[in-house]
Amino acid sequence: MILTSANLVFIVTLTIMPFLLIGVIKKIKACFQNRVGPPVFQSLYNLVKLFNKDEILSKDCSWIFRSGPLISFSGMLLLCLSVPWLPLQPPVPGCDIFLFVYVLALIRFFSIISSIDAGSPFSSFAASREATLSFLAEPAFVLALVALGISAHSSDLALIFGQPIENNRIPLSVWFFSGLALFLSGIVELSRMPIDDPSTHLELTMVHEAMVIENSGPNLALVEWSYALKLLLFFGLIAQCFVYSLSKIIALPPLLLPLSVLVVMLALGCLTAMIESFSVKLSWGKNPDFIAYAVSMSLLSSLAAFAMNGGS
Amino acid sequence: MNFVTPLFLAAFMLLLASAVLAIVTRKKFSLVCVALTALACVFLISGALQIGRSDSLWKLSGPFYLGVAPLSFRFDALSAVFSALLGLIALCAALFSHAYLKHLSGRINQKYYWCSLNLFVLGMLGVFLAANAITFLVSWEIMSLSSAALVVWNFSESKGQKAALIYLGATRLATAFLSAGFLWFHHAFDSWDFAKWHFNQADLLVPSMMVALGLFIKSGIWPFHIWLPYAHPSAPSSVSALMSGVMVKVAVYALLRFFLIDGSGSIYLAWVCIALGAISSFWGVLFAFVQSDIKKLLAYSTVENLGMIFLAAGICLYAQVAQLKEIAALAFVAVIFHSINHGLFKSLLFFCAGAIDSAVHSRKLDSLGGLINKMPATTGSFLIGSTAASALPPLNGFVGKWLIYQSLFMLAASETERAMNVLAMILIGLLSFVGGLALAVFAKMFAVVFLGRPRSPAAENASECSKLMNAIPAALAVLCLVCGCFAGPLITYFCRMHPLYSAVSLPSLPIGQIAFLFLAFAIFFYLAFLRKNGERIRYFSTWDCGYGSLLPKMQVNSQSFAHSVGTIFGHLLQYVTHFEIGGHDRRHFPERIKAETVMISLLESRIYGPALALVRLLNRHFSKLQAGSIHLYLLYVFLVLVAMIVIEVLA
Repeated sequence: MILTSANLVFIVTLTIMPFLLIGVIKKIKACFQNRVGPPVFQSLYNLVKLFNKDEILSKDCSWIFRSGPLISFSGMLLLCLSVPWLPLQPPVPGCDIFLFVYVLALIRFFSIISSIDAGSPFSSFAASREATLSFLAEPAFVLALVALGISAHSSDLALIFGQPIENNRIPLSVWFFSGLALFLSGIVELSRMPIDDPSTHLELTMVHEAMVIENSGPNLALVEWSYALKLLLFFGLIAQCFVYSLSKIIALPPLLLPLSVLVVMLALGCLTAMIESFSVKLSWGKNPDFIAYAVSMSLLSSLAAFAMNGGS
Repeated sequence: MNFVTPLFLAAFMLLLASAVLAIVTRKKFSLVCVALTALACVFLISGALQIGRSDSLWKLSGPFYLGVAPLSFRFDALSAVFSALLGLIALCAALFSHAYLKHLSGRINQKYYWCSLNLFVLGMLGVFLAANAITFLVSWEIMSLSSAALVVWNFSESKGQKAALIYLGATRLATAFLSAGFLWFHHAFDSWDFAKWHFNQADLLVPSMMVALGLFIKSGIWPFHIWLPYAHPSAPSSVSALMSGVMVKVAVYALLRFFLIDGSGSIYLAWVCIALGAISSFWGVLFAFVQSDIKKLLAYSTVENLGMIFLAAGICLYAQVAQLKEIAALAFVAVIFHSINHGLFKSLLFFCAGAIDSAVHSRKLDSLGGLINKMPATTGSFLIGSTAASALPPLNGFVGKWLIYQSLFMLAASETERAMNVLAMILIGLLSFVGGLALAVFAKMFAVVFLGRPRSPAAENASECSKLMNAIPAALAVLCLVCGCFAGPLITYFCRMHPLYSAVSLPSLPIGQIAFLFLAFAIFFYLAFLRKNGERIRYFSTWDCGYGSLLPKMQVNSQSFAHSVGTIFGHLLQYVTHFEIGGHDRRHFPERIKAETVMISLLESRIYGPALALVRLLNRHFSKLQAGSIHLYLLYVFLVLVAMIVIEVLA
């Protein structure tokens, strides 16, 4: 990792963007509910507060409990550093689709076992739900990325995303459908509405929030921070898909690209907030139906990839 | 200087000596047997490492002639890889048994155990080295029968009887198909030498399918997997480790040797391998999810992994037919590499299961829990084993799966039939789904066994088992890590074994680098955020809504964790939950609540059961022919004679 100006931009984006996204989502939701809402950077202040707090641990838990948040934070940071951002190559090179997916899986494994560690029925059932949801959504996520990879003739993320517009061989339809599939599976992975309600207070219905019900202090801070990074990671990939599709329709000047990615990410935040304001949480049994939409989008994307691949 | 033949011979002799010694001697034989077997395994490993890339043939002449063909062995790179794996796992199993059998003492006949174990290893070694069909079949039979003897050790229990019968049935079927296929090949090529046989000729499709079918049955591929979940839980853990780690790989080895290594391929076999492999991987992991016995769960996970290996073999066959060299080489490496990986992590997990069994005297997930504080060393090994089995980086399981993904990805992107592109894509989706399920399976198993509060008094009072029983899984765990982080050289090595290999450019995997960065990050953030909070931690009970202490039963268990999966795939799993709530005011103050989950194996109830019933029905009618009366038999002889004369006259 060499500290160039590109990497500097990277690091600045990584530090500010996640909190900004969460803040924007909360602010817009508050607007729809006629509330003022918390300040945009409230999640950052929360983080600082949590890091200075004492920690309460369950008597039943072991070292696994504290390792979960640590691993998920380190893993998320590593992934954020190895995924390209539109005009920029990542500081950690060589990450391919499958490595990316399975580092996410590693994080999930440890978050599942650390949430069962304390022996709390709430967090354990949430862990069971998380496991179920994520394996249902996994094909959509993988196939959306693989469709892009097939069009780009490489499984290296750096050769799929982060390429200059003129070198980009991936057709519009693949970008668009992959973007949609990533967005829908992102809703599942990020436990947003209508799969999971991040702001409810009923333990029985929550997934992500219930999994970390036993965490407190710096431990909880790491969980929240890694969630923010995950949001950035997913929205970043989705936004890049949509910006590429846009660039196939109208010619975007190269300098505008990074800016447009940021704008699209904020727009995705707005969209998420609107979905959360206007839709209701699905009942547990309906979730597979929702995930089926994500899978079908990714199948459409891969079919488009095949159709375009032979033509060129 | 070449020591290959002497080393292997010494290994053979020592195994045989150990087997005989176990039966003959009267006292203190256990330690001697362990020493002899371990020494044999060491010879085996060093012999296998000596082989390298050389290729030599060794024939035993004289009195050891097997009727129609000599006892002959071939030492080449492919058999070296598999015999090295065998040597390693057998070494671990022998050492582990020494400590583990104390747990079973009084219930197991140690003499027969050691005799069968040595013969078992000997048989597998013979299969890996066999250069002709007769040597192969003889070794195959030694392997099958001695492993059946090991499964049978608790024949007094009805469970043991059932397991032994099912397993024996499966091995008989496998041998029958193999022998029939081999006879046909002998007829076609007029030789018993494997070197003269060509399995992939179009006109020999039927016998090659027979051989393949025998191999499928032996490796427990869907729909022949039903013996696995019976045999593994019934056998002692050290034997399960050998069976799951190496014995099912014997079939993979034979598949490689017969159909893949010569660089040709049969398209039909490719389709069969791909289809059965894909179904097995899904079926295995799905059924693993709902199991509540550690070893049964591991057995189903073996079905899953073998499915993935056969899937890769199918891809390799297809690529060889379609002349896609890079994909063929990659899939070939995937088959070998994942076989080794699975051998390492699955035997590790079975050894851990044995350690848990000897400490808690139970393998039921729902009577374990909280073992992390009682058995820290086993926990560590088991954690590494389960992360490897869920194919998570940086462990070896991930590398194997990554190779399969990459070969599928390259196939999807290649210039071949459009249908194959689409199929490869669908298989990628299926594998990712299976991967997600496998993660859930192993997360569930690890969490239910080691975390939370103990669910039974036995688990509460468990203590760490002996040092030897900790050291063996730990050593395997280290190997899993090494094979994962330094996969690059190994992949190149295996790739050179492929005949179509001509310096193909393989996609690179920076897994060591990523693992290093990950570790660096984790240590840094631990020091930065969590450690300094060390003195500011307060301990309190788990959140219980203020109702008072949580009982051990108020935790997620293996059934409740799997409930949502059970309902989603209810039809496949035949998963039914009955609730019974009773009492005077059953709505508000139920006096009695009973929930019961029933699961019937679909294949057994719908296919094998009716098939067996049909065989029994036919038997009942055919048995009338065998009335036991001498007059009747004389009549049969006479009738046959007449029939033959008539045929002769008519012809």
